[in-house]
Amino acid sequence: MNFAASLSSELLKTKRTASFWMSIIGAAFIPALFALAYTFNADKIAIKLKVMPWGQHFGQGWQSLSSFLLPMYIILVCALIPQIEFKNNAWKQVFSSPQSTGQIFFSKFLTVHLLILFCYTLFNVFMILFALLVNLINSKYTFLDSSINWSQLMQLNAKTYISILGISAIQFWLSLRFKNFIAPVGIGLVLLIGSIIATGFGWDHVYKIPYAHPILTLMSMKGKGPLVLENHELNSIGYFVFFTLLGFLDLRFRKEKG
Amino acid sequence: MGLLKNQQGAIRLFDKDIAKHRIEILKNVGSLIEQPSLYAHLTAKENLEVYRKIYGSPKSRIDEVLKLVDLAGTGSKKAKQFSLGMKQRLSIAVALLHKPELLILDEPTNGLDPNGIIETRELIKRLNKEEGVTIIVSSHILAEIERMASHVGIIHKGKLLFQGPLSELQQLKNKQSFVQVDTSDNDAAVRLLAEHGAEQKNGLIQFPFQHREGVAAIAQILIANNLAVYLLQPQQNDLEQLFLHITSGTI
Repeated sequence: MNFAASLSSELLKTKRTASFWMSIIGAAFIPALFALAYTFNADKIAIKLKVMPWGQHFGQGWQSLSSFLLPMYIILVCALIPQIEFKNNAWKQVFSSPQSTGQIFFSKFLTVHLLILFCYTLFNVFMILFALLVNLINSKYTFLDSSINWSQLMQLNAKTYISILGISAIQFWLSLRFKNFIAPVGIGLVLLIGSIIATGFGWDHVYKIPYAHPILTLMSMKGKGPLVLENHELNSIGYFVFFTLLGFLDLRFRKEKG
Repeated sequence: MGLLKNQQGAIRLFDKDIAKHRIEILKNVGSLIEQPSLYAHLTAKENLEVYRKIYGSPKSRIDEVLKLVDLAGTGSKKAKQFSLGMKQRLSIAVALLHKPELLILDEPTNGLDPNGIIETRELIKRLNKEEGVTIIVSSHILAEIERMASHVGIIHKGKLLFQGPLSELQQLKNKQSFVQVDTSDNDAAVRLLAEHGAEQKNGLIQFPFQHREGVAAIAQILIANNLAVYLLQPQQNDLEQLFLHITSGTI
């Protein structure tokens, strides 16, 4: 009856769901695309990747992922996990099982984040594997001879993860509110596209919009400084704490559950 | 179950207030709420496993409940491929996982085919007799209730209008029953049967129905007094009519 039981029950529910497959396919998409490009345009790209091949490879990989695909994936995962209950009419059954509302809310939210971290891990693994594979086929590349800057890679991962925290809490709250799948995804998509446009215009207040945080992190990473949290990353943590609490209280004090 | 906020009064279950001991009470209660709430992408076993983890029941319990509801042979079949009757039975299995003392079933035979209705009814009876589970069933199919329940409550517009054993309701039903009689001389017949509570209504004679022997005795009285009997018909209220009477306030 403890939190671990609730979490393990939630994880079992994701078996064979769209959210599970999307985490794998989402993680493989860009590495696979890169592998194709590297293979079919080897002459040009191999020259570009001569110096620091891994650094460039990961930099470009995250660049392609962070601005749109990653937030879109977060929006979808946050919507799909609560949808498991909506779709199967199972909310009432969940609420009438001996679990506190806190257990229900946080085990679900943690499941969302475990899926996100699973996707992150897979993305890194696929990036490395596909690059090595390309190198085995085409000896022009130098991935096999160079080493990976692990601390820089971890930093890149950690910072992008922090940058999506705010979005995840907002989207999870919205997805618990709306029975209809389209509503939270639609709202998220509109805000995301709006943020991308605002970033493009270089709006001064863009660091306050959670949906712009992943791009901002990516732009700030080009300096390659030590692990310092940028303003917008602190904002992202702030949004995360605020909307996680709001989402929990909203569920806790709902008049009619399920 | 804590799904709705309590607006007034207090709910006590197993001698405990549900507002304070909700989780403790829920550990002893199994429920099936409205339509089956199963995870369509999971198998019968996985569906049970989801709740087994929460209740902390032993793993062996899964096979036990599957046998109990006759779903042991479904293997890797997903819940979405189940018939409605199977889904309903699997939902009852979920509700039974933690050996609850009290089982709450909301419209368990709703939308089932005749076969499914019989299966569910037999299962409910068996659970009560063999496992000693107390079961609360809500239903609007009155004939179904008449066949399953020992005690009945009738709720209409938020008010509990009747509560008691089924036998009490049946007595109420008998009180409402009457015998219709038509003879060659109804005026004389009413006089003869006055002590049986007979009265004239719509050109016919009516008197309260007590038992079958009473009807035969009345026939004999009428014939002994040379009256030709054209009609002698007991009119018994069924539960449906009784329900209408109770809810419209005529009892």
